[in-house]
Amino acid sequence: MIRREFLGTLAASGGALKSGMAKSKVQSRAFQIGCGCDLELASATPPGANVFENVGSKLRITNMKVFGITLDEKIARSDRPYVFVKLETNQGIVGWGEATLEGKASAAMACVNDLHDFIVGSDPMQSEHLYQLMYIGSFYRGGPVLGSAISGIDQAIWDIRGKVLGMPVYQLLGGPVDARGVRGYYHAQAWTLEAAKELGDVTRKAGVTALKFQLPTYMEWIETNAKLTRAVKSMETIREGLGPDIDFAVDFHAKPSPSVAAILVREIEPLHLLFAEEVCPPENVRAMQRVAKRSTTPLATGERLIASYGFNELIELGVVDVLQPDIAHVGGITALWKVAALADAAGIRMAPHACEGPIGGVASLHVDAAIPNFLCQEICGAVQSKEINDVWADIMGFPAMRMVDGRYPLPQKPGLGFEIQDAVLKKYPFQGTRPFPPAFHADGSLAAQ
Amino acid sequence: MKKLWRDSVAFAPAATNGDHPLVITALRAWRVREPVSSRRYTVIKLEAKGGAFGYGEGGPSVASDIAEAKAAVLGRTASDAEFIRSRLCGSPNVEAAVNNAMLDLLGRSTSVPIYQFLGGPTRYKVRVVAHIEGQDEQQLSSAVRQARNRGFLAFAFPIPSRDAMWRMQAYVDVIRKRIDLLKGVAGPDTDFVLDAGATLTPGDASFIATALERIHLLWLDEPTNVLTYDALSRITDETVMPVGLGRNIHDVTTFQNLLRWGCVDILRPSMGLNSIRQIRRMAAVAETHYVAVGPHHAGGPLGTLAAIHLAASLPNFFAQQVPQPSAERDRAMRAEITSGYQETAKDGFAELINKPGLGVDVNEQALAKYSEEVL
Repeated sequence: MIRREFLGTLAASGGALKSGMAKSKVQSRAFQIGCGCDLELASATPPGANVFENVGSKLRITNMKVFGITLDEKIARSDRPYVFVKLETNQGIVGWGEATLEGKASAAMACVNDLHDFIVGSDPMQSEHLYQLMYIGSFYRGGPVLGSAISGIDQAIWDIRGKVLGMPVYQLLGGPVDARGVRGYYHAQAWTLEAAKELGDVTRKAGVTALKFQLPTYMEWIETNAKLTRAVKSMETIREGLGPDIDFAVDFHAKPSPSVAAILVREIEPLHLLFAEEVCPPENVRAMQRVAKRSTTPLATGERLIASYGFNELIELGVVDVLQPDIAHVGGITALWKVAALADAAGIRMAPHACEGPIGGVASLHVDAAIPNFLCQEICGAVQSKEINDVWADIMGFPAMRMVDGRYPLPQKPGLGFEIQDAVLKKYPFQGTRPFPPAFHADGSLAAQ
Repeated sequence: MKKLWRDSVAFAPAATNGDHPLVITALRAWRVREPVSSRRYTVIKLEAKGGAFGYGEGGPSVASDIAEAKAAVLGRTASDAEFIRSRLCGSPNVEAAVNNAMLDLLGRSTSVPIYQFLGGPTRYKVRVVAHIEGQDEQQLSSAVRQARNRGFLAFAFPIPSRDAMWRMQAYVDVIRKRIDLLKGVAGPDTDFVLDAGATLTPGDASFIATALERIHLLWLDEPTNVLTYDALSRITDETVMPVGLGRNIHDVTTFQNLLRWGCVDILRPSMGLNSIRQIRRMAAVAETHYVAVGPHHAGGPLGTLAAIHLAASLPNFFAQQVPQPSAERDRAMRAEITSGYQETAKDGFAELINKPGLGVDVNEQALAKYSEEVL
């Protein structure tokens, strides 16, 4: 019988949340279905594992650690301490994943620990089975907290699988499609023509081929002439400054309503954007369809959606041209790859979102490299390196998520392709979560974003 | 009067505890008529056992509606809003008045403004659109100028009437000319709503909206009287000019249907036809479609006040239309019945009144003076 560990409470200091050693009354407590259905109850831990004894591997996950990592407020936004997951195995191999969730780091960390019984004692080679266990087996499907927790664990499982099988994860997934690397875009801003021209020069010199910008203001659900005109002008300025040969996207960040978005994307058609992102809030697909059917500007969305189920309606209704799941929320490598498969069948391209830490960014590269319908990888970085890039190099041991000639080089080592020392993470102790910073309109009401 | 419907089984009979201080003991109604414009609306006052009272305004009514309301409301508790909403749904003007009076009563008896009673404020000031009256360019220009001087930065003006012999393009040119004229009068950073008054065919409305969409009017209001998906999609599928409609709609379901098919960009339920609570339900449905609410209002000053409280309780409110009667006597009369409330703006926004209920004292003598009938 596998000895289980019962989880201790969240330790707020020191970063690592180690499992407590208190023995639990596992067999009497766990997995008794409350509805009285006459179903076969799972008695082993992890649930169902006993039937795989003769067909699975001998590899077992023996421990799961969650790290909260807070960076200096001057370097990184305080609403998103990184949440890293480390899985240890009985054969010395470890795997890393990222479960960072903006504004809800503590909840994501707690949720990773809630999944402990599904993971510790399991065979990490069964990545799909374990994904099903965490998503379907959780009963309450979806939601960003569960999605992020699954994402962190799933990435770590794939890291282990790659290391065991001796190849990078993108090779396990059938890639690389393009061995030269993964095309990416940086974030940028330019509010004047001079700034846009200068940015264009710097970007060309760095070999970067695509950038992404923001709208100049928050938007109400009906808008005034002044704000509509300002938004259109800002995008015209960017195109004029960058010239025709640099692709640019604009992140509307769900600020406008469909009514306002329809006006904007119609008027910027001549600018030939790479895509307009989250032109309206993401819950109501038919509302976004109202925008799509009145414009030729390519639309992108998906960073807040969870699991392939969350994308199905968008794809079926033909609403978007580009999908942007986030590997730290959608459900890790397993879910990101599935969304890509759905999108590919419908002629939709993938530009995965990543605005958290470096593990998620690197994990995303592996999926990007293995899908035929890949467009561009996001990362919260700028053409010119910033302090945060030094921190990432410190954590990861190499300049993670920096492009060379417009591409992220493919990792060459097995698994996700890096090693992290626990001791390095201790330099950035967890200091709790701040909420996602809200914004307000002129009348004091909350602005959508 | 013979009842056309049964009392809903969802509602229990009135509470037998007749001693509760919020039990309604009296209903009075004023059928108000403005001296110059002859605009009509109904003001209802409810009094409760404990001494609390409240006023509410709705659209014009007849005596039999008031009798029906009296029968429904006497003996009920002032918080039985859902009962009243259901019971009086056949006469929406009176339902609006009675239900808003109940809210005012509750606000006054709990010493909070209505917007706080409803979970607000969601904003500290309320964007307003002046409703411009006038028959020709000169009257309209002067009305816009006056409203601008009263602090308004957004104006709803009527579409020119169309000579049947005009080509569509000629008609568009006439509309464009009126917009240019009024924009010139109002000055920079002002916004406009083109009120079509339900006079256009869907095809004509689509033509006009598409031709004008780059001007960035706030929205095209009430383009047509045909409120079906087939008709409205002619407009909303072809143009990106936002479409506002619904001034004659008084059930939530019709709005839900129009929203489902993407036929509307701003909901415009009328304050005369819908209680605050009814519009809050419409807004809740619109919220899931990312559609804003901007109530239509062509009634009196108590309706304007109710609308401002409503706006401060909604998350998806955009702008409130406020009547700007062209006659000085009408404006004076409106201020008189509200003990001096001015329907003006500051930099395009109306201020909230942080006083119990609607926040003003109602002058009943003035009400009687301007009423066709007091019931």
